[in-house]
Amino acid sequence: MSISPVNRRVPRLLADDALIEQAKTGDHRAFTELVRRYEETVYRFSFKICRDQDKASETLQDTFVNVFRKLDSFDGKAKFSTWLYTIVTNNCLMKRRRRKSDEMEESLEAYDHAHLPHDDTQHPVLATSAGDPADVVITKELRGILDAAMEKLPEDYRVVFVMRDIEGRSTEETAGVLGLSIEATKSRLRRARAFLRDQLHPYITAHPEVMS
Amino acid sequence: MKCEDVYLHICDHLDEDISSPRCRMIREHLDACPNCQAYLSSLKKTITLYKAIPEPSVPAHAHKELFKTISVLTSHRATPVKRKARSKGTTLRH
Repeated sequence: MSISPVNRRVPRLLADDALIEQAKTGDHRAFTELVRRYEETVYRFSFKICRDQDKASETLQDTFVNVFRKLDSFDGKAKFSTWLYTIVTNNCLMKRRRRKSDEMEESLEAYDHAHLPHDDTQHPVLATSAGDPADVVITKELRGILDAAMEKLPEDYRVVFVMRDIEGRSTEETAGVLGLSIEATKSRLRRARAFLRDQLHPYITAHPEVMS
Repeated sequence: MKCEDVYLHICDHLDEDISSPRCRMIREHLDACPNCQAYLSSLKKTITLYKAIPEPSVPAHAHKELFKTISVLTSHRATPVKRKARSKGTTLRH
């Protein structure tokens, strides 16, 4: 479908698909609008994976340079946001310290083998309800614990946890971004959740008010 | 179903079709097992805490730098059919 001259002048009014097609024709205003539209999404996702403002800012730059260079190859079969997540993930993973990450990955495999704790009932603070994120107050101490736990998680596990549990993306989309099978993605999510849960458990049990 | 089996599939139970036969078995186990109930609860709380972290915004300097880079990129791009003219060694980051 051709793009009308009127719409060509106002990229802000275009839907993503039309905007991408217009950007592919070399329309710099359309590309700039695409960047404006997804700048926050890319930065937030980068920050959640990189856990560092400078690295996230660098990844933001790298991602849109990659998008500019590869936009012609985007065929629209996947959602544009999925394609962006893939580029962000690749940029973040390239920056990781591979040796440390691989060592941690081996230890996470232990979470596959009957890691279920058997003394949780000793902690009556663990009610059935998980609560609403909007009701939670993240104190400086809690934020430090959440960040420290996430820092310990290898980045490819982090991507799975962030995409599935924080961003609410599907298992299929997450698997596609990482080039993993559905089963491998589920396995990583299980290990990531169990690992983070174990890291946070002492704080949650000692501070029941945090989730009340 | 044993606790170990529940552990292996409990994550699926968090967000998959709760009417599937496996989820029904997990639910039945959970109804009778305080340990697994507590474990599931703590998994859900872990996720809730991470979801409660405030979303960061693009820092002003990163925003400025990004649009400076985009401006350079787009000004170097002539027309789509003639893009092959872009120099191989050109660096566009500042």
